[in-house]
Amino acid sequence: MPRGRIGRKGRDVSESPLRAVPTMAPPEAAPDAAELLQRTARGDEAAFAALYDELAGSVLGLARRVIRDPARAEEVAQEVFLQVWQTAVRFDPARGSAKSWILTLAHRRAVDAVRHDQAATNRDMAYDWSPGVDHDEVSETVTVRLEHEQVRRCLSSLTDLQREAITLAYYQGYTYAEVATVLDANPATVKTRMRDGLIRLRDCLGVEA
Amino acid sequence: MTIDLHSLMAPYALDALDADERATYEVHLEQCDDCRSELAGFLETSSRLGELEEVAPPPAMRAEVLAAARRTAQQRPVTVLAPRRLRHRVPQLVAAAAVALALAGGTATVVEHQRASDLQASGDKMTSVLTASDVRTSSEKATEGGTLRVMSSKSHDAAVVVGSALPQLDDDQVYQVWAMHDGTPRPAGLIGAKPGMVYVSKVAGADAFAVTVEPKGGSERPTTDPLAVTPVTA
Ligand SMILES: [Zn+2]
Repeated sequence: MPRGRIGRKGRDVSESPLRAVPTMAPPEAAPDAAELLQRTARGDEAAFAALYDELAGSVLGLARRVIRDPARAEEVAQEVFLQVWQTAVRFDPARGSAKSWILTLAHRRAVDAVRHDQAATNRDMAYDWSPGVDHDEVSETVTVRLEHEQVRRCLSSLTDLQREAITLAYYQGYTYAEVATVLDANPATVKTRMRDGLIRLRDCLGVEA
Repeated sequence: MTIDLHSLMAPYALDALDADERATYEVHLEQCDDCRSELAGFLETSSRLGELEEVAPPPAMRAEVLAAARRTAQQRPVTVLAPRRLRHRVPQLVAAAAVALALAGGTATVVEHQRASDLQASGDKMTSVLTASDVRTSSEKATEGGTLRVMSSKSHDAAVVVGSALPQLDDDQVYQVWAMHDGTPRPAGLIGAKPGMVYVSKVAGADAFAVTVEPKGGSERPTTDPLAVTPVTA
């Protein structure tokens, strides 16, 4: 992994004994995200940098998706990585993957940012939507850009209400109560659909429960 | 009938709870083995929804992130009451407090002044308030940052008062909670030098809860202005 970076700037690259090491060494599996995160927890800055290289694109992509405003999304992505640095010690590999842990932090932060920003503008989006939203259109705009085939396929296997409840919450940052308003459904029903939908997604994606 | 806190798991995994419900659920989470074991798979699943698009970060961002990290202290493991194998020995409440309050972005938060057995007992009582069918939540922002949240139940005649993200205090200071009866403060427990939570019984007649900074050990009446006064929702 460090191969591309070493000596990108320095003019004494050719003299650096380090330079030969990555190419000469037998191919070795790159440390996985969990290991990088655990090393980060011990203050290993190089591991943190490698973790950033591995996941910055996903974190920023997620922040953009939820927040939309690119500048704000970048700000949030930076905050996410700082939070990863600060709280890496809380990561417990027994409870899930490092990537999921980081994306979970990122999602929560993005959602909180959206809610905070929208509170300032009275959440006019939510009000604009409430008078009678076209359900198909909602899920279209949410799913049309999905690139990941498997996730897309699994999302398609959900019922309409499951899919809409999940995507409105996850990609738009709506609370389940707001989802209920938008979809003109009972909040208890929305909670249930979210649960049923997540279970179906989980099984479809082959996530170990 | 009690509110089914388990049913908040799916919205929680999607970040679809408001701040109060999220805090309530996180307290439940640390006490509920069923939720904990199922949540991992739910979070793994929801985060897959977040992997769909990658956006190449601007090159300057990397340097900024790494520089910011270099300037920033890291959290250490939460160690309270006992130095070894905390997870198994320390009652759930400590973990609950740490999770509920620290996950929100603050620093590690623990109730430090109580003994383990008290913690277990008050953890059970807290759960009973949080799961009461008539639990009401209210919160106020504190003047120096953070919030004071009150979850109260008439049927249990009790409340759980949570200070989250309040500023750190000096070693010789504590946060003290007061039950306000018609403008008169009655001591309602200490939540420690770091923000934490406290179970308060016999709350009938209390119309609000307040938090002040007091000398270690607490005071009989407030000696400083409250950082927050949170009304009890009827
Ligand atoms: Zn549960």
